[in-house]
Amino acid sequence: MAVIQARGLAKAYGGKTAVGGLSFDVLPGTVTGFLGPNGAGKSTTMRLMLGLDRGQGTCTFDGKPFTDYHQPMRHVGAVLEAKPFHPTRTARNHLRMLAAPSGVPDHRVDEVLGLVGLGDVAGKAPSTFSLGMGQRLGLAAALLGNPHTLILDEPANGLDPQGIHWLRNLLRSLASEGRSVFVSSHLLSEMALMADHLVVIGRGHMIANGPIEDFTKQSTRNHVFVRTPQARELAALVGQRLAGEGSVQLASADVVTVVGLDAEAIGALAFDNGIRVHELSTRQATLEEAFLEMTGNMQEFQAVAPPPQGSPYGQQPPPPGPPPGSEQPPPPSSYGEQGPQDPNGGAR
Amino acid sequence: MIDALRYEWTRITTLRSTWWISGMSVLVGAGFTFVVWMFLRLTSPGDIEGELVGDGARFYYNAAMTQFSNVDPMFYLVTYAVAILGILSWGHEYRHSMIRATLTTVPQRWTVWLAKYLVVGAWVSVVVVLTCVLSLVCAMLWFAGLDADFDAAYLLAALAKRVVYTVMVTWLVMSATVLIRHQTFALVLLYLWPLGVETLIRFMGLIVGAITGDSSPDGLRFMPFNAAGRLVQDVSITDPTGGIQDSLDLFGNPLSFWGAFLVFGLYTFVLMAASIVAFQKRDA
Repeated sequence: MAVIQARGLAKAYGGKTAVGGLSFDVLPGTVTGFLGPNGAGKSTTMRLMLGLDRGQGTCTFDGKPFTDYHQPMRHVGAVLEAKPFHPTRTARNHLRMLAAPSGVPDHRVDEVLGLVGLGDVAGKAPSTFSLGMGQRLGLAAALLGNPHTLILDEPANGLDPQGIHWLRNLLRSLASEGRSVFVSSHLLSEMALMADHLVVIGRGHMIANGPIEDFTKQSTRNHVFVRTPQARELAALVGQRLAGEGSVQLASADVVTVVGLDAEAIGALAFDNGIRVHELSTRQATLEEAFLEMTGNMQEFQAVAPPPQGSPYGQQPPPPGPPPGSEQPPPPSSYGEQGPQDPNGGAR
Repeated sequence: MIDALRYEWTRITTLRSTWWISGMSVLVGAGFTFVVWMFLRLTSPGDIEGELVGDGARFYYNAAMTQFSNVDPMFYLVTYAVAILGILSWGHEYRHSMIRATLTTVPQRWTVWLAKYLVVGAWVSVVVVLTCVLSLVCAMLWFAGLDADFDAAYLLAALAKRVVYTVMVTWLVMSATVLIRHQTFALVLLYLWPLGVETLIRFMGLIVGAITGDSSPDGLRFMPFNAAGRLVQDVSITDPTGGIQDSLDLFGNPLSFWGAFLVFGLYTFVLMAASIVAFQKRDA
């Protein structure tokens, strides 16, 4: 049973779509990462899920909208702001205040403060807290009611490397207890280690939704690299074998890159046809590469590349790309679509 | 609803500013009475002496207990101090982004809204009662030796009027804060509107009246805070009789207590209604 079911979440500001009909599930026992470029609508989506923003669509937690819960802290914990507290109210009093409506006892307040490492500053006003300490206090608030679901918006912001490591272990541990964790982050390397599933959006629309492996598999940067003195022959053979289900590229005179066929199959093909192979390796796209590829044209805010050193402002920098003769991955293609292919089955 | 009340009670009692503002309001109110009556008794012992009966006794006791707020056009000082608590109750939600934490703790918005009005209203009422009682005690120290009638029913009614006045002003500025979602602007508005804008309009009305030979325009009594003032004022410096105005027409000039209650109550109700609608509809 899906703990969180979001259906058709949508929101527009002044006619401009911020979130355009998102639907996804967050399953119990998993960490679901929520990714998207700046301005993609992640925070808005999370606020819609919790009934904080007014929009269209529904979101249920175990079948009930968040706003229908009595003492929701005991069911859903949320961190939506980096420093959502009054600067002069002590950390302990801040949590006592949040705990009061749900009847969470004071000893639980001290317990979660200890859990997030703020036990020593529990009696201090958070006006002097760093961003990381503020995040820890926010996490403590989310954990107060020992909820089965967590919704965390950029919880790793401001955390030091130890803090990020701690957060990863904490969220993995909570998920392993059967809880649902829905977390947004820009730290893709962390997300790769932490998340089981991904929901990726761009400009408010769904880009990907599923297991993290499936997402990285979609990347056209996944390819098999082959170095062989008979590159042209091998490329032609691979092209015939692919029959439109992938792509093969003759990267240089002795290098072939293949998408859509694994290393074992290519090795066997080369062996069967008497082709000498000097190197055969698989290159797996990272989450970051896959994310950048998928969201490349979905950025709300695009920075302008700085001009090359010594050139006057306004002059166009040369187009990015690998130096001549270097390894070049195959051109991008969408998951499930046919890659670029020579109609004759030969190498392109 | 109980959840929201618990939240609001813990919120207001865990803020240092609540205690500072409340404590200072009581101290300044009672201290004002103590100092003024000490000054009057020590420097001008001949002004108040002998037997004080009837309206005279009522006036002095009321003035002592409520820092002369019974005199039109004076304002009740304590109200404008504790009403700040009302502004902060909503202002902190928006200034420190607490509103999302609040609504993820108590997601039923109308209960959050109602709990704030009830808890803050109760809190400011207690502060007003404490200030009045302490002020009365201070005054009675300096009234010692005077043969003054003590009209308990009249003073109790005066105290109740301060409570009503303070709660209504506090609720009005709370509603304004919800609507404008800006704490500093709401604070400025609390002082600028009644003490600046309305006073200026009233002053201009007096000038116009002096020039034309008529009294100041009648309609000015319906301005929000001028009307509110009549909730607590029962003596006027412009009234040639100088007595307690206890038999006024409902919406006459000046307004009677119930006339003022209805006029200022309408302003307060309209702003409160607008605030709950806005709070329900808006993004948090």
